[in-house]
Amino acid sequence: MDFTLLLQQLLNGLSIGSVYAIFALGYTLIFSILGIINFAHGALFTLGAYFTYALMGERFGFNGLLANVALPVQLPFSIALILGSVLVGLVGVAIERIAFRPLRRRRADPLLTVVSSLGVALVIVNAIQYLVGSESYNFPVNTYGNLPVAINFGTADKPITIRTVQIVIFAVSVAIMGILTYCINYTKFGKAMKAVAEDPITANLLGIPTDFFIVITFFISSFLGGVAGTLVGSSVSIADPYFGIRYGLKGLAVIVLGGLGSIPGAVLGGLVIGLVEAFVPADYSAYKDAFAFGILFIMLLVRPQGLLGRRFVQKV
Amino acid sequence: MKKSTFLGSALLLAFASLLSACNQTNSGPNATTTANPSAGAVSSNSIPIGIALAQTSNVALLGQEGIQGAKIAEKYFNDKGGINGTPIRLVVQDTGGEEAGAINAFQTLITQNQVVGIVGPTLSQQAFSAGPIAERAKVPVIGASNTAKGVPEIGDYVARVSAPVAIVAPNSIKAALKINPKIEKVAVFYAQNDAFSKSETETFQQTVKDQKLDLVTVQKFQTTDTDFQTQATNAINAKPDLIVISGLAADGGNLVRQLRELGYKGIIIGGNGFNTSNIFAVCKALCDGVLVAQAYSPEHPNEVNKVFRTTYVNQYKKEPPQFSAQAFTAVQVYVEALKALDQKSKVTAMPLPQLRTELNKQILAGKYDTPLGEIAFTPVGDVIQNDFYVAQLKVDKDGNNGKFAFLK
Repeated sequence: MDFTLLLQQLLNGLSIGSVYAIFALGYTLIFSILGIINFAHGALFTLGAYFTYALMGERFGFNGLLANVALPVQLPFSIALILGSVLVGLVGVAIERIAFRPLRRRRADPLLTVVSSLGVALVIVNAIQYLVGSESYNFPVNTYGNLPVAINFGTADKPITIRTVQIVIFAVSVAIMGILTYCINYTKFGKAMKAVAEDPITANLLGIPTDFFIVITFFISSFLGGVAGTLVGSSVSIADPYFGIRYGLKGLAVIVLGGLGSIPGAVLGGLVIGLVEAFVPADYSAYKDAFAFGILFIMLLVRPQGLLGRRFVQKV
Repeated sequence: MKKSTFLGSALLLAFASLLSACNQTNSGPNATTTANPSAGAVSSNSIPIGIALAQTSNVALLGQEGIQGAKIAEKYFNDKGGINGTPIRLVVQDTGGEEAGAINAFQTLITQNQVVGIVGPTLSQQAFSAGPIAERAKVPVIGASNTAKGVPEIGDYVARVSAPVAIVAPNSIKAALKINPKIEKVAVFYAQNDAFSKSETETFQQTVKDQKLDLVTVQKFQTTDTDFQTQATNAINAKPDLIVISGLAADGGNLVRQLRELGYKGIIIGGNGFNTSNIFAVCKALCDGVLVAQAYSPEHPNEVNKVFRTTYVNQYKKEPPQFSAQAFTAVQVYVEALKALDQKSKVTAMPLPQLRTELNKQILAGKYDTPLGEIAFTPVGDVIQNDFYVAQLKVDKDGNNGKFAFLK
């Protein structure tokens, strides 16, 4: 393999992996506080892309209830992205109220929470399909304004190209990782969150409003999911209402590989799986998922706590 | 270790749910495929024809275009008196994008709706699994968008009005060579999880060899893929002058977009999956200039096409796409075959199994003047068609819509 090709594949892997990373960060945040997987995250991811698309004043197709409808506003991409993600954050808060809190109050088995979040995911996805149909949507070509669509790190003769949107996704996922890591480790807010994660009842006794912190966590995680969904949608189009849910399984693999509850682990796990997929020979590209999960399987045997996870020490 | 056991169950659950989520099928009852022999004639107030096309999933758009064409045909022929006075009635069942959905739709149409024949399914991939069901039940099927090799050979009762890729596809490569005679290196992409795309790419690759061109790389993908960074950069590194893609609208459009964004400037040819105006929503302005071979031209000068085109334009404010024209044609074939049969002996008085068998024979025997031009069938049920075209995608200024401009 010549050097240019190697670099190109490396870039390809990072770009695929950054999508997985940005998706898995949403899983990780909820998991690190509540110890549960929020399967509705895939649906929120999708919702973010649709909200942003609508806020940009783009038109929906002819298949849903809202056939040929467009909002009377035409916001620029950046503002639509933030507003749309705030809306997704609010939906996340509502999901917490409807699907998580009642079960938490009753100390239900975590598996029930998983089932209820799956239920929510399917309701959201089907609602999207009912409203705007199952056709593909795409953001305008000039979404990123004057940025070049792709950047060539090689020469004209031996190109090493990557699309700008992939660099944006990579940068955003690394930035989110940095901000979250800082907030959780070095701010009072983060310490309170960690206390809630450790033991919600004791935290409550110490005067930390547990429910409030859980709601905030859901808001942040859903907001980030909305941002991620929009960015990924702007990169690969909004294929259909199921587009976010398809990342759900890969996202699970990523957080297990990176280490459950570890924020840098989510990013590292995503990049590793992306790199593995990029180096799968073209003839076997249909089986890249099997390669990715194979890596995960080996990891579970060799290092069950994941790349950056901590061993659970069971106190006797 | 509660966490890990829980995660295991979560994984399992996620997997199961994803499988079920992506398999949207219509919940038809588990009917058996033996038609009820005591069922007498079709009711004398209308004759039911089944339409098994996708209304949901990633191929919904192709299916929708088919349904539009079939509905126009229903109204047009009923206004002209139907089957010698008895109107036809379309019964639409959603097939979704998967094989199971197509099987369900076929079974429901055959046993519950008691149709005389079926138009569908949307994908060749689905035809290979649903076709045999109609074959066993002895119900005629006319494919209106199945172009893969081997579809008419599924059985005696399976025919199609959608010309096979082997005949249609080479035209676009010849057109590309007319536009740029200097083309030497060709890169081919195809969706390897889709029977039709596999069949189409074989034709394309054979044509590339026949034209003495150099096939520099073959890249595979899945119809469910969205990120083509790896395949696209691999192909671009081989420096092709022409790229040929066999996939469906969403993945194909995405691939075109990413190829263009990564700097590919040569000609792109799309297969039959690109034959829908939905492609514009996916690759917007970057679709401009893509070549697609056509089995239908809105400009075909015969009478029935003029009426079909006018009706379609009035209803949908755009030119009729190929899949609409082919579905219209399929319904027309049923109507004309039923009429011919009715003149020999009243179809409303015939027992249903006999009517289905007779109708199947009549379909293959007839000649039809349709929006696609003059067509007939080979003994195995493949369409015989004379006129083929190549269109170039022309995107509007706003980049949201476009049209298929036919090359002279």
